[in-house]
Amino acid sequence: MRNVNLTILIIAILIVSAGILSIYSSSYQREGEFWQLIYKRQILWFVLGLILFLFISNFNYRRFWDMTYFLYGFVLFLLFLVFILGIVRLGAQRWLKFIWFNVQPSEIAKLVMVIFLARYFSTKSAEVVSLQVNKMGILRALILPLLFVVIPMGLIMEQPDLGSGAMLLLIFITMLYLAGVRFRYISIFLLIIIICLPVLWHFLRDYQRDRLLVFLDPNIDPLGAGYTVIQSKIAIGSGGFFGKGWLKGSQSQLRFLPESHTDFIFATFAEEWGFLGSCALLFLYYLLIRQGIAIAQRSRDNFGKLLAFGISLMLGLQVFINIAMNLGLAPVVGLPLPLMSYGGSSLFLTFISLGILSNINKTRTVF
Amino acid sequence: MRVKIVSWIVIFGFLFLALNILNIELIQGRKFENLSNQNCIRLIPQEGSRGRILDRQGNIIIDNNLSYDVMVAPYENDQINKTLLGLANILNANFKDMKDTFRNKYIASFMPVTIAKNIDVKKAIALEELKPDLDNIMIQPYPLRSYPYGRLACHVLGYLNEIDLWRLTKLANYGYKTRDIVGFGGVEEKYDYFLRQEAGGLSVEVDHRGRLVSVLGFRPPRNGKDIQLTIDLKIQKIVEENLKGRNGSVIHMDPYSGEIIAMANKPNFNPSVFVKKSDSSILNLFADSDAPFINRAISGVYPAGSIFKLVVATAALETGKINLSTTFSCPGSTYIGKQKFSCWNTHNLQNLTSAITNSCNVFFYRTGLLIGAQTIYDYAIKFGFSHPTAIDLPYEAGGYVPSPLLKKIYRFRNWFDGDTANLAIGQGELLVTPIQIIRMMTVFANKGTLVTPYIVKAIDGEDIVNLKSRAVRLSLKNSTINYIRQGLRSVVADPKGTANALSSLPVSVAGKTGTAQVHQSSPHGWFVGFFPYQTPKFVICVFLEHGGSGHASSLVAKQIIEGMIQEGLI
Repeated sequence: MRNVNLTILIIAILIVSAGILSIYSSSYQREGEFWQLIYKRQILWFVLGLILFLFISNFNYRRFWDMTYFLYGFVLFLLFLVFILGIVRLGAQRWLKFIWFNVQPSEIAKLVMVIFLARYFSTKSAEVVSLQVNKMGILRALILPLLFVVIPMGLIMEQPDLGSGAMLLLIFITMLYLAGVRFRYISIFLLIIIICLPVLWHFLRDYQRDRLLVFLDPNIDPLGAGYTVIQSKIAIGSGGFFGKGWLKGSQSQLRFLPESHTDFIFATFAEEWGFLGSCALLFLYYLLIRQGIAIAQRSRDNFGKLLAFGISLMLGLQVFINIAMNLGLAPVVGLPLPLMSYGGSSLFLTFISLGILSNINKTRTVF
Repeated sequence: MRVKIVSWIVIFGFLFLALNILNIELIQGRKFENLSNQNCIRLIPQEGSRGRILDRQGNIIIDNNLSYDVMVAPYENDQINKTLLGLANILNANFKDMKDTFRNKYIASFMPVTIAKNIDVKKAIALEELKPDLDNIMIQPYPLRSYPYGRLACHVLGYLNEIDLWRLTKLANYGYKTRDIVGFGGVEEKYDYFLRQEAGGLSVEVDHRGRLVSVLGFRPPRNGKDIQLTIDLKIQKIVEENLKGRNGSVIHMDPYSGEIIAMANKPNFNPSVFVKKSDSSILNLFADSDAPFINRAISGVYPAGSIFKLVVATAALETGKINLSTTFSCPGSTYIGKQKFSCWNTHNLQNLTSAITNSCNVFFYRTGLLIGAQTIYDYAIKFGFSHPTAIDLPYEAGGYVPSPLLKKIYRFRNWFDGDTANLAIGQGELLVTPIQIIRMMTVFANKGTLVTPYIVKAIDGEDIVNLKSRAVRLSLKNSTINYIRQGLRSVVADPKGTANALSSLPVSVAGKTGTAQVHQSSPHGWFVGFFPYQTPKFVICVFLEHGGSGHASSLVAKQIIEGMIQEGLI
């Protein structure tokens, strides 16, 4: 009810504020107009995000059911645009520039895939309580939705954005699991992926291979890919119990830590707020995900359930992978930390997702 | 049921993260704290060296020297004064100045401060010997460009400087970063991507006193690729010597391949001022109204003068409007409409050969009017005027050839016969670059092929000649080419020829002089020619900015050829 929605809102506000503090800390000493402005931009996006949240939480989530195919087509269109622009500009391309702001379609793709898979595995009415999934054969349960997932995933991998692409795959597997698809099918799928890994290795680009190798031993390329991880661990580790204090994080401020305002913002935060601070942050994220799962469990209709689960786990996975990356427990994949990393696309989409959760929570009774 | 499993997985996931944070921050916290506070991981970058530039025989024109910077690591604060004192002694510097520099450039307790740049090798060695006692000194070597020949071929080569904002925005995707050193002008700019080096370095662990504990990792730096030019160093030296004291441009080219054997311009500059970074000399160069940085050979646009008459002659012969027996009489001037157009001398009845030999204006006024401005324009385009030649150097200018259509479009005025007359003798709005002129002369030297000039022969030892544009065979009649060649030979051989001064040379030269009138200023002097006549090995173009006359240019050409004969290069 209202309490839950309020809780979500407050947790989100707290996390974003922590993010803004860290962004400010990592950028206020740098020269150049760009750096001086980024924390202000994040505040602006935060306010816009709140408005989005309020708007979406009053937007009946069932309408997403109707809009699913349109959204899917729209995301494919945007990804194609990025793909073509990437060819034209002969470089890695992840954003589309609209007049004065950047849109990152791979972020939108994550949410849209959740919606899509939620619709695929559910029925429109709430009367049929048990999902029909048990009756689906492997074709309908696995292969068909896999095709729908593989197209945007392929376009994203081409950008090249290994992290978001892998995220889509993980979302797919989680949705499969939660929708109740037979475990047999899921295990076959996982086995096939594991068997195909050597082939996929071949398709990776050089720097992506470097990143995976460096993940196993950061010291093999201390000036390049390994540098980030080594510095990140130093930053987190030197926080100690209480942290160095706000604005006193030497690793990030002296620019030892690259991407300290985006992918490695957790390390920036941990250096300044220490073990206490990072556990508090971790706890806040956990609460958020937990609320999402609770909303899913309370929801009566299958679409809402799957949607809520999907969103919660999408956020949860991103948080997990990003923090693991900061700790050197996962290869550097370029996934932002939701609500904390600097970046409009990620922030907006997270708020939209939270708005949908809140709306699902509101419409528990079915008319 | 599955939901419960997922919930538990979530809990475990977060606990896992929390435990790891616990591990890193508390259990290993001390170690990381030490590492960060006392900068126990140090990155020592090592620069590669930029690619060298060689001449066609492989002699080095531009090379790299190692220069040494001195840096002080400041984390043991009480040691600082002692260190600075020691440094000041060896470097013969003022101790107070050193302290000031140190304080100004200080960033943080574990970032080394650059105290002195580009010190002598002997001093670097002396400082190295100090290291066991004063161990927070670091000597960092890195390569600097060296110019053993100073100003030689400076326009062809270019200079180096820190990258500017415009280039940085365009090149950020290619790996260029702020404060990178890039080339400006010439081969250094055009081939900068190949010449660039990549830094590598060591990651080392040092103890709190700065002593090396272990090497954590190493990536070797990568040197840039060497560029080999088509320039011949010996001929370039001769050319530059003879251009002394005058403004202008000299080009030497191979008539069959289009290789540039020498290219010199005056005024010029010494690229090493950018290495020493003496601001006053650099500012003076930029403020110089003579524009020493412009490569006049390819970027300077000038009126062509009488050289352009060859285009008119070709056009007239090809269209059949005149032949070798056509004659015109030159009484010193002629009237076109109501306007009097003069020649520089009186000549009697002349045919084409004598008109070229004497460079008679009236003959060409008449011929030009006979064939019409549009035809002259078409043949000028055929010879490659009005467009850049696509030589592999930056900032080439295209020049301009007027035509009735263009005058209508740009000036909204009609074309008059007087304009045709002006165009026929290479005056009026016509603008050409020396490289276009020499390319035109090359057509007569190699009997009918329009070559693309180029200056880089090989990158990193690999020949790139195959990647150059193919030469274009112009569809000119053999008779046309031969008639004009005879005329060009006669310019030198005939006692009345405008370049007769060159007939005393042991090698047979053919060519054309040109005196291009300039409004309210001394005329430009052109001489373009090729030698030896029968099977030419070289095409030469001498252009003297405000040189006075074509005769002056032909004298310079004579001196250059004499120099070449002396060195046995012909």
